[in-house]
Amino acid sequence: MTARLELILGAVFAAVLIAIGLSLGDKAVIDVLMRLSIFSLLALSLNILVGYTGLVSFGHAMFFGFGAYVFGLLMQTNAISIPAAAAVTLLATCVWGAVSGALCIRLTEIYFSFLTLAFQMLLYSVIAGWVSLTGGDQGLMGGIPRPPFLGIDLAQPRQLFVLTVIVSVLSALAIRQIVQSPFGYALRMIRDNAERARFLGVPVQRYKLQAFVLSGIFGSLAGILMSLYVSGAYPNFAFWTLSGDAIIMIVLGGITVFLGPVLGAVLFQFLNDYINRITEHHGMVMGVVLLVIVLGLRKGVLDVLDEWRQSRKPRPEAAP
Amino acid sequence: MNFDALIDCFSASACVVTQISSGLIIGMLIFMVASGVTLIFGVLGVVNFAHGALYMLGAYFALTAYWVTDSFTVAVLAGAIGTGLFGVVFERLFISRVYGADVLSQLLVCYAFVLILDDAVKAIWGGDFLSMGMPEAFALPPLMIAGGFVPPFYAFLTAFAVASAIALAALLGLTRFGKIVRAAAVNRQMVGVLGINTSLVYALIFGLGAALAGAAGALAAPVRSATPGMGFDILIESFIVTVIGGMGSIAGAFVGAILIGMIRAFGTVGFPLATEGVTFAMMAVVLLVKPAGLFGKAGR
Amino acid sequence: MTAISRTGLNRRTLMAGAAAGVLAAPHVSRGQGKEPIKIGMPTVLSGRFTVVGDSARGAAGLAIDAFNAAGGLDGRMIELVARDDKARPDEAARVVRELLNADGCHLLISSSTTAGAFAIQEVVRETGHLCIQTISETSSLTADPKIRLPNVFRGARQVVHDAIAGASYAAKVAKERGLKKWMTNSPDFAYGRDATGQFVESLKKIAPDTTIIGEAWPKFMAPDYTESLTQVLTSKPDALFTAHSGGDIVAFMDQAKLYNIFDKVPMFTPNLADLTSIKQIKKLPPDVRSGTRYLATYPDTAANHDWHDAYVKRNGGEPSNWSWETAAGTAFLLEAIKKTKSIDGKVLAEALRGMTIDSPFGIGGKLTMRAEDQTLINYAIGWGSVLAEPPYLKNIQDTDWSEIFHYETEWKKSKGFI
Repeated sequence: MTARLELILGAVFAAVLIAIGLSLGDKAVIDVLMRLSIFSLLALSLNILVGYTGLVSFGHAMFFGFGAYVFGLLMQTNAISIPAAAAVTLLATCVWGAVSGALCIRLTEIYFSFLTLAFQMLLYSVIAGWVSLTGGDQGLMGGIPRPPFLGIDLAQPRQLFVLTVIVSVLSALAIRQIVQSPFGYALRMIRDNAERARFLGVPVQRYKLQAFVLSGIFGSLAGILMSLYVSGAYPNFAFWTLSGDAIIMIVLGGITVFLGPVLGAVLFQFLNDYINRITEHHGMVMGVVLLVIVLGLRKGVLDVLDEWRQSRKPRPEAAP
Repeated sequence: MNFDALIDCFSASACVVTQISSGLIIGMLIFMVASGVTLIFGVLGVVNFAHGALYMLGAYFALTAYWVTDSFTVAVLAGAIGTGLFGVVFERLFISRVYGADVLSQLLVCYAFVLILDDAVKAIWGGDFLSMGMPEAFALPPLMIAGGFVPPFYAFLTAFAVASAIALAALLGLTRFGKIVRAAAVNRQMVGVLGINTSLVYALIFGLGAALAGAAGALAAPVRSATPGMGFDILIESFIVTVIGGMGSIAGAFVGAILIGMIRAFGTVGFPLATEGVTFAMMAVVLLVKPAGLFGKAGR
Repeated sequence: MTAISRTGLNRRTLMAGAAAGVLAAPHVSRGQGKEPIKIGMPTVLSGRFTVVGDSARGAAGLAIDAFNAAGGLDGRMIELVARDDKARPDEAARVVRELLNADGCHLLISSSTTAGAFAIQEVVRETGHLCIQTISETSSLTADPKIRLPNVFRGARQVVHDAIAGASYAAKVAKERGLKKWMTNSPDFAYGRDATGQFVESLKKIAPDTTIIGEAWPKFMAPDYTESLTQVLTSKPDALFTAHSGGDIVAFMDQAKLYNIFDKVPMFTPNLADLTSIKQIKKLPPDVRSGTRYLATYPDTAANHDWHDAYVKRNGGEPSNWSWETAAGTAFLLEAIKKTKSIDGKVLAEALRGMTIDSPFGIGGKLTMRAEDQTLINYAIGWGSVLAEPPYLKNIQDTDWSEIFHYETEWKKSKGFI
């Protein structure tokens, strides 16, 4: 598919979503679509690392939380417009992503995963502990001001909904461009065999770092949208359970197909909300459903994963 | 931050003894859980995210056994054996299906079980917190050591954990079973070719790891109230310990657990609000300086 | 082949997603007539705080049953829709939106723990729905004008009241017994910080010769207090204050027992005299002082005994502090509905401001919803010595609300709230 065609498809998709949301005029539908947009973006951003670079991050929610808190705190100063605050937040995310990423990408496999977890929990401890700034476990209180800009008033739920969908779809298209670019193919090469990539002249570490930062930026953007949506920010946004949720989303949907994480996010949110609505024993039902999907539909999800795994170097246990 | 208090503490033997003993106690319970995590990872190559839920099961099994028999010995046995048996079944039916699969599917299967077990515990034992109370045998005044205080129950708990560590090391280091386990950790196929039932070995190792977590839950029952979801915190703590000590290393888990215990014990005197951050920072530093952990073999 | 089978899966998930959209849409008819009045209740029904949700739902259910049995609002019944927020603020915000937008709830009883309560506050700040907070006792929720909302009322006790009541009692005991050096040990989360900070502040005011020689802040929900308990041994305070509650205070005391800490050091807590906590304590130290959370015998009136028995009969377990708070909050809401014959949030809010109702939990059988900050006052608070057996508390000294008002006003001024 050409980039132009993708752009058109993306625009059509966004238009359809917005049309559905606005024409039904139902707050519940708008709520559902907004959350799906935000979590789809979170899952897509994580998949730059997991699916395309082969780096399983256990700490991706740190960017989500970082974005939500930095943006929320900036807005609460009442001295800055929404686009400016978002730009500053994304810039700050770049710095944080570069610093933490430079350290994390020195490791591989499960050690990388645990280091990302450690960084995330460090950030979480700061958020939870710095009560005078962040409100600690109560989150950012008093609401997040949403002054109008360029004729857009995000205090209107409908306008916020339209903006959320547009930003999410544009971000998805941008991520698509990134993974389809030569850079994206270099990432796949690193994922499949880092040694060979290095041998072929790919600057492996630099590319990994760039992927880490890019993934963080989009994760942070999802966090910004979330803070606008809930008009606040909570420590949970940076907690490891949300990282776990994001991983579950991409595994459910599939990590090798570009839209897999989107479908995973939809499936996960649907399961979460629907099961919680129908039964108090949502833990048991959700657990069984997850088991059935992971173990039962192995052929659907795991076949693809298998291909990916086989193309990597064999595990040490399997070596003679 | 209050470093004066920390210095004062270090200059008084009573404070040092008391805080060291409390660090040991905190560390030992984490060690019991972490040793299972590290054992299972070292041999099976699986990061068991459901290990905290096994700790919870141990506590509830022990509570029930204690109510029925009024014997703490039976309670600990019930916690360890019950959870161990559950572990064997869990490994055979579910974990065995994700060997060799990437960490993502393992994570999902374990996560599913955390949800199911937390909910099952709520359905069976109810959502209220439950407390066992201190068994009569340990309802004694604390021992005085160099001006510091050490409760008899905690002395027992520490001894139990140390004994488990020694027994585990002996099992893996000295017995034929240990040799098989170590060989299987390196090359499962080769061990299988030699006519050894590696599925059985794997199930037993998982059961052993589960039994350790169950025993920890049982030992915690007299002093910590049991609720659904109680395994949540100790899971993360045991991951920190496992990573610091070296994934797959029992000795590493032991040292790592004591280290975390000490940070918590002295941190509460000197930097009470930052202890959690410090433990994660330490995990990050260890990973960066020596990714395989303090006791890990490089290249794993 | 893989690609095809994957597309199949994706299509299925897509359809599931579409179904979610449809299911999430309100399928209740929007017609008038005998459509039930729906009250949404976001609360905790899983994990470590399940007891909160069980208490709240049981109490609200009891009150609503009675309302419906009496014919409802001109034949319109009330339906309570309780839903789990997993004690997570983000999930609480989501559940509230779902209750309002998808389930079509008309009114809210928020029985979420503190962090969730603040998240819900932000949602209804936007939607404007009437909401009764019945679990969060954190003062700023209604005291801080930046957080307080005209459409939110607190039907629960409040930390600053408890702190003044506790400090006033503690000051008397401190004077009698010469307790000068105090330590605190409380969970590091909103409620714990609030309860402890305000107790300390009030104690210093009422008994200026007391000093705080140490404070410990175990991580909230940390299962282990050993390191902070041993700190008590080394510091040798005259008395200790703690704001742990529920299962945590039971674990705290079990662990303290190993060091016999409270054999010599009197313990003060607002949270132990609650049926669900005190019954779990196996070995009670000799000198524990507690505020009344919920006891069937305090206030020792027929109305309270009857409510306790009816609660146990309907719900099985004993009522907790969270039960009476939710019962009180629900009673206010139902009374307002009866009085105004309306379920319009603005009309109800107008009626609720300054409303006084008959209630088993009030001083002299009356509770008041104070108009100025929309919070509950004149509920029965007392402090006394904890007993291992019923009635669980002896020598109860009732707190004088005029004293509470006096120090509360000072506190509000110091915070710049008024």
